[in-house]
Amino acid sequence: MAVESQKVEDFRLTKEPYYLPLGNEIELFESAYNARLPVMLKGPTGCGKTRFVEHMSWRLKRTLVTVACHEDLTASDLVGKYTLRGDETVWQDGPLTTAVKSGGIAYLDEVVEARKDTTVVIHPLTDDRRILPLEKKGEIVSAPEDFMLVISYNPGYQSVLKDLKHSTKQRFVAIEFDYPPPDLEESILKAEAGIDDDTASKLVKIGEKVRNLRTHGLDEGVSTRLLVYAGQLIQGGVEPIAACEATICKPITDDLEMQRSIVEIIATQF
Amino acid sequence: MTFGPAVGNVGMYVAREMLISVPEDQRQTYLRMVEEISDLKYQLGVEVARQLPRLLVEGDSERVARYLSQVREVAATGWKSGVEVAKQLPDLYDAPDETLAGAYVDIVSQATAGPPEDTETAQLATELGDLERELREMEPKVKRAQELRTQLAARDRRDEKRRKHAVELASALPPILARLRPRYRPPYLDLVRQVAAADPEASLEAADTLLDLLNGERVSPEGAAEWVERGLDVLERNKEVGRGYFRLGSKYSLQVLEELKEGLALKSVARVLKLYATALSGQEIAIRGTNEMQAVDVFGVDHIILPPEMHFFEDDASNFTAYKVATAHGAGRIEFGTYRFSLEDIPETVERLRARYSEESR
Ligand SMILES: Nc1ncnc2c1ncn2[C@@H]1O[C@H](COP(=O)(O)OP(=O)(O)O)[C@@H](O)[C@H]1O
Ligand SMILES: [Mg+2]
Repeated sequence: MAVESQKVEDFRLTKEPYYLPLGNEIELFESAYNARLPVMLKGPTGCGKTRFVEHMSWRLKRTLVTVACHEDLTASDLVGKYTLRGDETVWQDGPLTTAVKSGGIAYLDEVVEARKDTTVVIHPLTDDRRILPLEKKGEIVSAPEDFMLVISYNPGYQSVLKDLKHSTKQRFVAIEFDYPPPDLEESILKAEAGIDDDTASKLVKIGEKVRNLRTHGLDEGVSTRLLVYAGQLIQGGVEPIAACEATICKPITDDLEMQRSIVEIIATQF
Repeated sequence: MTFGPAVGNVGMYVAREMLISVPEDQRQTYLRMVEEISDLKYQLGVEVARQLPRLLVEGDSERVARYLSQVREVAATGWKSGVEVAKQLPDLYDAPDETLAGAYVDIVSQATAGPPEDTETAQLATELGDLERELREMEPKVKRAQELRTQLAARDRRDEKRRKHAVELASALPPILARLRPRYRPPYLDLVRQVAAADPEASLEAADTLLDLLNGERVSPEGAAEWVERGLDVLERNKEVGRGYFRLGSKYSLQVLEELKEGLALKSVARVLKLYATALSGQEIAIRGTNEMQAVDVFGVDHIILPPEMHFFEDDASNFTAYKVATAHGAGRIEFGTYRFSLEDIPETVERLRARYSEESR
């Protein structure tokens, strides 16, 4: 893992990450933190989950260790393993262990993607034992008071093979995310991309229309992240229609007819 | 006296002095005799007219008759001998030996006539005559044979060209088929086969043109079949013109195509329009052709009804815009419950939008 050799201090945020609250998520998160409860952020990609965790880690003044989960990620990748260093075998903490020991926030992004055996290490951390067993090392790490486990989960991706087990789901406080309402999304676009009101409003309208196509062949609507990208390209001087095609149309679908209808939607705004 | 027309042609050979030297009562007889003998040959008449007065003056009518018959006898074997004999005979009559003239006439007659014709010569002549007749009869056949030879040579040259074009077709077809959309391949092959059977050179042109027509969806397979059928008629009348037709190089060909050309088919863009309308309105919208009207009751979802083909413009892009404008209005109607739009307004609306967009893009 890339984070293996990093110091915990590296994960402490010094500058406030911009986050525009959409509802009571900040209060919910703070309450969960105070009650030592793990949190699950549910929602489509690019709607602000990661940004929210960053913001909360800054707000709670906790370190943040983010692990982007992928299908090759195993329990030992999270917890740690022995590695050869010269003639010696040395134990190397994984990112989760690092986070637990430092008492910060461990954020397992897109946790469904990880191997099934990872749940074995997650479960003891999420109940009142709050422990992390380092099986290979024969050691158990108790999580300090200020440790918090956060996972994110995209229900849009659900499939029989890739879904969280109910036994896992039911251990978390769920905070639901969705694309922001138009006025808030507009503010986010202006803040993140530095674009004017008019452009922001047009991009938001495009986003809204394209999201209408969810369940009609689009797995996911265009995310706030992609709208931010579009705004950044436009701000950087790219012609609006071209910017939108590159960020809104092409990334979200390979279906040519779907792409064409999205291009037409873009054309109604620019 | 005059001899006027009464003496007829005789006046041509009989000089006035000759007639005067004939006793008056015998002049008519003299003229008749000259006329009769000149019927055989004009030169005979001239000589006889010259000698007769001398014999007539003698008053020996038997000698006159003998003279005329002997001249005729020799003239029958050859007129030149007859003329010479007519000149010499009167002097021979004056000879003491009366048989002299007769022998003289016999010798000259026989010498002129020659030996009697032998049977072999006659046979050869007959055979030659037959052959010549046959040759004359053969003449049209010989001419016809020559004609056929030229025609066949031309055909052979044409066949060679045909084979050359067939080879070209053989190498051109596979890459064309690779480019052709799979669903158009069977009708395409059928059409190219028809043209190739009529003229491989024209089929080379047709192969290219049909690829563009079908792949570009400028005509349906049925339209393409109609276009080929009319082209085959042209080809039958004139190969060169037919080839031009299949190359889309003739006015008629383009005109036929124009007639057959489909507008933009609704079914080819229905899904894009459906997605577009659904995105705009935020609710599921179905796109239906006016040809599906009878099914409207059971659609169950909101729907926009559009013509099955859009013909307003030459190009598909504009026809698509027309569909899009109609769809946007339909989506608006569904979303806001108003309907203030009719198909007739489409061209105007599209022009307006186009003017606006082209101004903006400047
Ligand atoms: N509520 C929000 N406040 C500020 N920025 C936001 C918000 N929601 C989304 N964004 C923007 O969208 C981008 C993507 O969000 P991110 O947190 O990476 O999405 P996720 O983790 O849900 O996939 C962020 O980088 C940010 O620019
Ligand atoms: Mg994320």
